[in-house]
Amino acid sequence: MAEVAGVFAASHTPVMLNFADAIPAADREAVFAAFKDLGRRIEACRPDVLVVISDDHVHNFFLDNFPAVCIGAAENYETPVEHWLKAEHRTLPGHAAFAAHLLHEALDEFDPSFSMELTLDHGVLTPLELAGVTRDLPLVPLLINCVQPPMPSMRRCLQWGKLLHKAIASFTGVQRIAVLATGGLSHDLSTPRMGLLNDAFDFEFVRLLGERDERALAAFAAGHVHEAGNGAEEVRTWLVARGAAGGAPLDVMFHKGIADWYTGICIAEWNLAK
Amino acid sequence: MNSNWREAMPSATAYLVSKVLYRLHHRPEDLAAFNADRMAYLERYPLSEELRIALRDDDIAALYLSGTNPYLLRAHCIGVGIPEKVSLAALRSAGDAPNG
Repeated sequence: MAEVAGVFAASHTPVMLNFADAIPAADREAVFAAFKDLGRRIEACRPDVLVVISDDHVHNFFLDNFPAVCIGAAENYETPVEHWLKAEHRTLPGHAAFAAHLLHEALDEFDPSFSMELTLDHGVLTPLELAGVTRDLPLVPLLINCVQPPMPSMRRCLQWGKLLHKAIASFTGVQRIAVLATGGLSHDLSTPRMGLLNDAFDFEFVRLLGERDERALAAFAAGHVHEAGNGAEEVRTWLVARGAAGGAPLDVMFHKGIADWYTGICIAEWNLAK
Repeated sequence: MNSNWREAMPSATAYLVSKVLYRLHHRPEDLAAFNADRMAYLERYPLSEELRIALRDDDIAALYLSGTNPYLLRAHCIGVGIPEKVSLAALRSAGDAPNG
């Protein structure tokens, strides 16, 4: 049976790659150093598979058929899908066997879709690129709709994390599976509030991620996300990770609102040893 | 309570504008046709004249107010090279319209 080797979360934004110089050098260097640290920590937990919980930003999916949750079950993934993203084209390896196992486990309780051909976007690529985790580690993308209402509830996302934990623990194909959630904290895309952050939301949400009271966490996220911007709907990915981490304390590696990158940037790891 | 979204469920109009923006940035031949003659390209869709003009003129405030998906609108702003300051100012100008 496999074990949960590590659970991580990091903000993502395409401007980290497209407009990296839009913020002061000291902030940029601190963020990029924290991503390097994230890469070292992922490597240190020696995962055989990395489940990346992210969202498809309306590239693979469109409003003619938009899954609430989609599990990538391909043997490899082309990236990036955005013609405008300043990122090298890469083919990332997938782990089809764990994806299939996760699907079978999930379909007992949930109704995910699956895809055997995804061209991954900046949501998955940016943190991996900055963390230096783009070569040999097989991925399973778990894509949650955070970009177009109606979306899965916050409570449901926590439950998905528990299901993910259970599926890892019942998988016999490898020994160690790590989890990385990527998504913004407070931010707005293409609204009059774009560029405004909500530090109060972000810091309280991150604090609650490290507490055991998951009902308070889900209630806070559901009750306040509309104060934090449409991009903050991506906290669903963090909730899935929190569900997988099962109430472990959170080690915050970096957290600062970076308004000129339009996003609260946080990078964190749940401390599973405690 | 204010909402993160213009529409809790996209309207048919929002869907149509989203469809145009999606195609422009996922089909290179569509973007090329749009760039060659915007109005001719937009005739392919049963858009209102106002929205066709908004798309022709990069009227980002009007496109925001249409309820189109914000990620597609963001991709459009970057994809057709609208300067950040220009798109941000346009979005701010639409700031008095309540969501919900």
